Amino acid sequence: MSLGKYLALDKLSNFFNIIKQNGGIRASLYKMYRQDELKDGVLVGEDKFGNKYYENPRYFYGSNRWVEYSDKYNMDYDGSQVPAEWFGWLHYKTDLPPHMDPSRPKYKWMIEFTENMSGTTGQYTPYSTTRPKVEPWIPKRKSNA
Amino acid sequence: MLRQPLTRALALSSPARAAPLAVRRYAEIAPQPDKVEVFIDDKPVYVPPGTTVLQAAAQVGVEIPRFCYHERLAVAGNCRMCLVEVEKSPKPVAACAMPVMKGMRVKTNSDLTRKAREGVMEFLLVNHPLDCPICDQGGECDLQDQSMAFGSDKSRFTDIHFSGKRAVEDKDVGPLIKTIMTRCIHCTRCIRFASEVAGVDDLGTTGRGTDMQVGTYVEKMFLSELSGNIIDLCPVGALTSKPYSFAARPWETRRIDSVDVLDPLGSNIVVSTRTNEVLRILPRTNEEINEEWLSDKSRFACDGLKRQRLVTPLMADSRGNLTPVDWEDAVVAAARALRDCPPDKLLAVAGDMADAESLVALKDLLNRLGSENACTEQYFPLEGAGIDLRSTYLLNTGIANVEDADFVLLIGTNVRFEAPLLNTRIRKAFIHKDTDVALIGPKVDLTYDYVHVGESASIVKDLASGTSAHEVLRKLEQAKRPVVILGADQLKTQEGAALLAYTQELALRLQDKLEDKNWKVLNVLQRTASQVAALDIGYKPGVGALLSAGPQVVYLLGADSGVVTRESLPKDAVVIYQGHHGDAGAAIADVVLPGAAYTEKRATYVNAEGRAQQTLPAVTPPGQAREDWKIIRAISEVVGVRLPYDNLDEVRDRLSQISPALVTYGDVQNNNYFAQARALAQSLQKPVSGNLDVKLKTLEDYFMTDAISRASPTMAKCVQAVLKQKQSTY
Repeated sequence: MSLGKYLALDKLSNFFNIIKQNGGIRASLYKMYRQDELKDGVLVGEDKFGNKYYENPRYFYGSNRWVEYSDKYNMDYDGSQVPAEWFGWLHYKTDLPPHMDPSRPKYKWMIEFTENMSGTTGQYTPYSTTRPKVEPWIPKRKSNA
Repeated sequence: MLRQPLTRALALSSPARAAPLAVRRYAEIAPQPDKVEVFIDDKPVYVPPGTTVLQAAAQVGVEIPRFCYHERLAVAGNCRMCLVEVEKSPKPVAACAMPVMKGMRVKTNSDLTRKAREGVMEFLLVNHPLDCPICDQGGECDLQDQSMAFGSDKSRFTDIHFSGKRAVEDKDVGPLIKTIMTRCIHCTRCIRFASEVAGVDDLGTTGRGTDMQVGTYVEKMFLSELSGNIIDLCPVGALTSKPYSFAARPWETRRIDSVDVLDPLGSNIVVSTRTNEVLRILPRTNEEINEEWLSDKSRFACDGLKRQRLVTPLMADSRGNLTPVDWEDAVVAAARALRDCPPDKLLAVAGDMADAESLVALKDLLNRLGSENACTEQYFPLEGAGIDLRSTYLLNTGIANVEDADFVLLIGTNVRFEAPLLNTRIRKAFIHKDTDVALIGPKVDLTYDYVHVGESASIVKDLASGTSAHEVLRKLEQAKRPVVILGADQLKTQEGAALLAYTQELALRLQDKLEDKNWKVLNVLQRTASQVAALDIGYKPGVGALLSAGPQVVYLLGADSGVVTRESLPKDAVVIYQGHHGDAGAAIADVVLPGAAYTEKRATYVNAEGRAQQTLPAVTPPGQAREDWKIIRAISEVVGVRLPYDNLDEVRDRLSQISPALVTYGDVQNNNYFAQARALAQSLQKPVSGNLDVKLKTLEDYFMTDAISRASPTMAKCVQAVLKQKQSTY
């Protein structure tokens, strides 16, 4: 065991490395504020929404792959914003990220991934099949325009 | 099989009816005979002779079960449910048909009585289907209740041959009544109601024993304006309401007492609601007005409360199309129009179903703006006493008292459709008291025979002056309690004032000669529920002159009868409509303010006899609609002439300032000053020559007369069904 490790200087160097990789003190503080954690790792890939996927085997299994959500989401990020193709890699179903996996099916009928819209104006609402209790009067239109 | 104690009812259809007019005696009050003592379950009770055992038992609070007996119908005595033991009588007797005898000892709870009841119930249930779970009567069924209370715990009906129960084909009697004739227990209440009260002898029985069936003989619609009452009368689920079928159970609904506003009588009703929806309307017993009946329009037009409603304020956009806006915008627009209008160019018109609270608020608002132009749609002559004396525009005799009349003269009114329950009173007097009826006006079917005097208005003049040679004049003068009813529609014409003057002259000449000084002869039958309250508050009747003066701003308070049209207004006039239905009024409006219908507000209505009654809110107004007086109060605040009341009690204080009669709920004030009205009318007795005509002539005219019934799909179906029935050969 080296002296540096013995004196826990590698932790210190890791710390500075993390600060550096995350773009300095201000940027690191912002990332801490946004994500509640600060990690260093290898950028494995980026999806079309701008989310970045990292890996660092130094961390324990289960937290050695992570996603940093695109800046456009600001604080409104959630797990449903990870597209299906990255979901497998992020959850250790596969070790091959989508752009390095040629066996993934690709058909033109596959629809674009959408995040969960519940609670927003874009949410899915089934139309009512019951008759309204009161039918309002619809005034006659005087002109067609 | 029908025992008719009323010879009159039987003689109705006979051609001999016209003759006995001259020979018949007039109704007189029989002197009270001595009472006899009878014992019901050993409790002594004194009743007049002729009382039935069942009525005597009711007096001491002993309820005898019954199906066929109904206190307002003739006694049939065919269901046998009311069997009771009478001491020294070998067999149990039917309590509903048995008159009491001196010293009679009735046992309503003895073993014999119980056994008799259980036996009757067992026989009834042998042929009654056990479909209570899918029966609309479930929960309010006399058979259900009485089989629980008085029936046996088991039946000997086992159907060992699997022959099944008796089954009867259902009848089609129109769009209001659903018939499931297998459930019928042959109580014949519906038949008796049809022939006695409704005066439509369509229902009857065919066959005997197990083959007996109640029906219309040939398939035809039950053509009556009172048909809904047989649903209430039916003790089982054989006759149920078609619009209400499979809608709700009685224990799920909330029942709110209210008052009907679709005819001028103000019948008392119960509004059944569930989940903020009016499901059905039932009559509420009020002996002074509707007894326990209700006319079909009042009962079935309630589905019109859910159609064509104004649910949000509307304003005309730049293209003239009405578009939804916020309350604030609409109120500000209305207030600006009112504020910028010269007072003499301002006009307010109250419609059919305006309540007293909104009427007084609107008039106060107008007066504060310096205008006096508040008027109603329905005209009434202002000459003579005009509307200053209440007795000139009311039904002074009183609805209930019409029963005691011995001669009824109808002038230019089809009471049957203008006020169906007043007509049942006249019919009741006609049948039970040998009252004679004469009609001046078009020949219509009133469900009883009457002397048709003619159509000309000059007949009234001749009768008033005593120069008529018609026998009706002699009859009128001989009558002890004559009643003269004038239809308010006749007063619209040029000759209206003269016609009213002659009617007053005639009625008061008769009244002066009466022995009974409290008896009132003169009656004016208003056409709408709001008219009396509006006249009490001081609205001018009729829009005529005010409309032709070219108003700039017209405030329509539920005015939908088409008196005010766009053509009759200047081009740039602003029309503000406040009401609950999109109809003629809302269609011509620039600003539409959604108000509440009569089931949605606590409001005062004054009926044709001057009785103030209040409706209670059964449901909330739909969407953004608000109570009417509150809308006017809000506008007044924006205009800058704040009305001095903030809650309903304060509005009613204001009402009582105008007339205490408007807030004495349930009471009728005694009307006077007849002589003064007569004196004032003397100068108006000009020659009249026109013919009297009525709007509602036949049944199809009756169903759709106002904004609510015009929006009702059930009423539309009724009109179609009646027209179809008219083409049928039967």
